[in-house]
Amino acid sequence: MKQALGKWIIFAGVAVIPFALVLAPIASFLVLSFYRVENNAIIRDFSLANYANIFGNPTYWGTFLGTLWLCLEVMLLAIAIGYPVAWFVWRRQGRARYFFLLLTVLPLFMSYIVKLYTLRSILGINGLLNQALLGLNLIEKPSLLFLFNQRAVLLTMTVIYLPFAILPIFLALERIPTNLLHASSDLGATARVTFRRVVLPLSLPGTIAGALFVFVLALGDFVTPQMVGGTSGFTFGRVVWSQFGLAYNWPFGAAMAGLLLATALSVIALAGYVASLRRV
Amino acid sequence: MKGTGERAADLCTGLLAFAVLAVLYAPVIISALFSVVDIRNGHIEWASFSLSRYVTLWDNPTIVTALANTAIVAVVAVVLAMGLAVLLALYAQWDGAVGKKLLELVIYLPFLLPPIVTGLSLLVAASELGIARGLSTVIIGHTVFVLAVAYRLVLTRLEAMPASLVEASSDLGATRLQTFRYVLLPHLASAIVTGAVLALTLSFDETLITVFLAGDMTTLPLRLWAMMRVGFTPEINALVTLVLVISLALAAVVAWRMAPEGRSAEE
Repeated sequence: MKQALGKWIIFAGVAVIPFALVLAPIASFLVLSFYRVENNAIIRDFSLANYANIFGNPTYWGTFLGTLWLCLEVMLLAIAIGYPVAWFVWRRQGRARYFFLLLTVLPLFMSYIVKLYTLRSILGINGLLNQALLGLNLIEKPSLLFLFNQRAVLLTMTVIYLPFAILPIFLALERIPTNLLHASSDLGATARVTFRRVVLPLSLPGTIAGALFVFVLALGDFVTPQMVGGTSGFTFGRVVWSQFGLAYNWPFGAAMAGLLLATALSVIALAGYVASLRRV
Repeated sequence: MKGTGERAADLCTGLLAFAVLAVLYAPVIISALFSVVDIRNGHIEWASFSLSRYVTLWDNPTIVTALANTAIVAVVAVVLAMGLAVLLALYAQWDGAVGKKLLELVIYLPFLLPPIVTGLSLLVAASELGIARGLSTVIIGHTVFVLAVAYRLVLTRLEAMPASLVEASSDLGATRLQTFRYVLLPHLASAIVTGAVLALTLSFDETLITVFLAGDMTTLPLRLWAMMRVGFTPEINALVTLVLVISLALAAVVAWRMAPEGRSAEE
């Protein structure tokens, strides 16, 4: 009994810094979300008014659902592109495999702001995309369709978060024991059947976990929608950010961030559960 | 021996992979190109080639300040995070550890949660405690953010270490401190260096947490963001190229250190 108490005291000594820097701040903003603002001052009356406002106002509610839909699209697009790329890298042998893996992972470390900046210039009216389409005679004059709308946000987020999808899919593929593939082909399965019956099911949990990770990343992004989305690229993260900036309603922003936190935690929990289902 | 279907699949995914890599690396190529030549009416003027922007860049005091701030934040945050990571990893590996799962969840949270949540939670906490936004709050934000990576790398190395090494050390009469200094630390050194470089790379680029905590202070990504909003000068392309080259070089160092070949050569 005494020994157990001693262990918890040591735990407290070690855990105090991470708890103070991670859990206490989260708790403090959740507490703030129950307060309200009057004349630029925070009134410390406990109420659920901020949450009632989010769920009662179709503008906020609609933006939230619209953002979930956007993140879902980013996630599906990232998997649709990321899976074949990861498969290609996995099929390489020896050094070539490691080299391609490195090439797909390195962009994770390229400056986020710089990526936004160049993607914006590619999608813009005088950008490479328009120039290429003009050159191919697919369009007659430069199109404004690729920038400052939801489509631009979708494309840009997919490019930025794609490496986050490729890496977990590759790791899931790499975990499949080679002898399972040999066994499948020894038993007379064609490459197509081996893929459908062996490779795909075994890599699915890792793929879903990676997909959910992309979802969470897209969910909290508030700079991409602003930079390439213009006025029509309004996402929930951007609304939260504006409450801490121009709108200056911290408690309301905190309540919306609370909803964001709850969504992110559910998705992370789901990803953890799916990843635990892996069969090899 | 490969079937035609398999070869076709390799070809299709290969083409897709090359297209994806072209898009992913477009930022480096485009900004590097635009930093040395002029573009007029959508055409590249090769005759205008010059490296002068890499020199004039340093005449801009706001860029130099932002770069200095970024370096200070990164170095301090990484040192703090590495120290904390070693302590936490040693605790997690200790036989008497309690609450390990909970502790790990707390360590990983800032890395898993959207940065906006980490950023605004630290902002609200700092404001409740009456701490003004600035260098110190940004350093705390970066420490919390990179701790997860640092902890994971140190713990992985610690788990791979045979317990017999520590037992042998104490059998030979070493105190705990001596064991830490002469057995554990040398064993962890390369993981600490790799973790530190990785953490530096992440801190160097961190934007979404920083923007909540910076106040009047500015870091390089924030400065770039502000410059992007008002339009751009050719100097930005030079700066952007430098930023990309530095982060890619740091990341390449990590990759090289973590590569299977690198590890076998090291041990």
